[in-house]
Amino acid sequence: MNYLGHVLNHLRKDLRIEWRSRDSINGMLFFALLVVVVFSLAFDPTAAVSRQISGGILWVALLFATVTALNQSWTREQSHQVLEAQRMAPAPASALFLGKAIANMLFVLVVEAVLAPVFIVFYNLHVIGNPWLLALILPLGTWALVVNGTFFAVLGLRTRNRELLLPLLLLPISLPALLEMVQATTGVLTAELDPLQINTWIVQLAGYDLIFTLICLLLFDTVLNAE
Amino acid sequence: MPRPATTRIVAWLWFFATLAVLAVGFRQAIFIAPTEATMGNVQRIFYYHVPSAMMGLVFPYVNFIASLAYLYWRRRDPLKALTADALALASAEVTIVFVSIGLMTGMLWARASWGIWWTWDARLTTYLLLWLLYVSYLLLRRFSSTGESHTLAAVISVFAAVDVPIVFMSIQWWRTQHPSPVFADGGSLDPSMWPAFLWNLAGWAMWGTLIMLFRFALERRRQLAEQEAALVAIEASLETHQ
Amino acid sequence: MTWQSLFNLSTMEHRHLLFAYIAVWAVQIGYLGWVAWGWSRTKGTRR
Repeated sequence: MNYLGHVLNHLRKDLRIEWRSRDSINGMLFFALLVVVVFSLAFDPTAAVSRQISGGILWVALLFATVTALNQSWTREQSHQVLEAQRMAPAPASALFLGKAIANMLFVLVVEAVLAPVFIVFYNLHVIGNPWLLALILPLGTWALVVNGTFFAVLGLRTRNRELLLPLLLLPISLPALLEMVQATTGVLTAELDPLQINTWIVQLAGYDLIFTLICLLLFDTVLNAE
Repeated sequence: MPRPATTRIVAWLWFFATLAVLAVGFRQAIFIAPTEATMGNVQRIFYYHVPSAMMGLVFPYVNFIASLAYLYWRRRDPLKALTADALALASAEVTIVFVSIGLMTGMLWARASWGIWWTWDARLTTYLLLWLLYVSYLLLRRFSSTGESHTLAAVISVFAAVDVPIVFMSIQWWRTQHPSPVFADGGSLDPSMWPAFLWNLAGWAMWGTLIMLFRFALERRRQLAEQEAALVAIEASLETHQ
Repeated sequence: MTWQSLFNLSTMEHRHLLFAYIAVWAVQIGYLGWVAWGWSRTKGTRR
């Protein structure tokens, strides 16, 4: 079986298991919703202000939601000794990582799809710029968070204080990506940036995704065989 | 491998030489260097701030290279790998020492000179991020189980090495659109200030090397003591079999 | 500057200069001391 086949297998497995209980998605959704409500109370923005800040709030809400979901994304693998089995299997380990990352990505995209109307309602959001760009920015930004988050989740799997370690590692590493996705999103929402600037943010974000996906794939094997 | 006595003598000589250089540097910075025209005496913080900040950018490279060496030797030559790991740990701690000092002195200077403690420009944000990343590095080492902490830390070192330049570039690009206050270096240095600056740069570089190698030696000592203890335990278990 | 003006705490500039230098030395000596304390607690091995 080729590499893609392995990835798809892992992906199918994760999607199927998640579909049965829908724990992860429900948790993420509710958490993100709470963050949105809390921020509304904290800032009580007018329509103009809300356009300025909702880009940042969206990504902060997604960041928190992603971290809570990622914390337990590998627990099933851990409790069933899947990682040990993977070490003995001839299939490439990075396929397991990629499948899991794509699965997490899909979960977060589902959360975003549900969250978007909520945002529009609660913040009276009216996109001034080109809304189709958001269809590009959202997946790119989500992948930046998910790929690093999935990697650090497995990195901290056998450590004490694993729940603390994930955000501790993820936030500094994701800082440039967060800046890029928030700036791009706000640029589209407020149309204060011209298309060239927005495109530059998007290109930077895509570059970030590429670089860190590569690094995660290359180093996953090392982390799996850390002892 | 020089005999331990020689190393000890060299270490003490280096220590006293460093103190001497730092004493000269202090004298130059406080008493001899002229008072800066616009900023006044507070500018003398520069002579401690800039060398420390520069050293804070050198030791991460040592850590990165040591981490790569560890990953390379991990399966090929475990003993060399362990040495590389000890160097990585020492340089990480020294990085945090110097970067913390850079941040603190910078903030004290900025507040007195320009009225603000902090600004989110490319340089400062990247510097803060460097600090955060290396604190995470140390916490990861502390929290992970002994077998794997070396490898995991080395992986984080790679991530940090890739991330820091990216942070700098992205924030610099951002600041071309949304300018914020930037703490200027004062451009080029007046010739009368060079002696103070150079003496302190030399002194803190010597100090940094000294504490890094001291920490490295301590870590090696701990590693060897551990190996020793493990060997004794194995021998003891073999004896009871008879 | 003189020793007297160094320890003059009247203006913020002077205070910050003094604090900065003290902080640098405190941190560096503190770290050196911590490493030295660790050294004294670790037994040297027979070479």
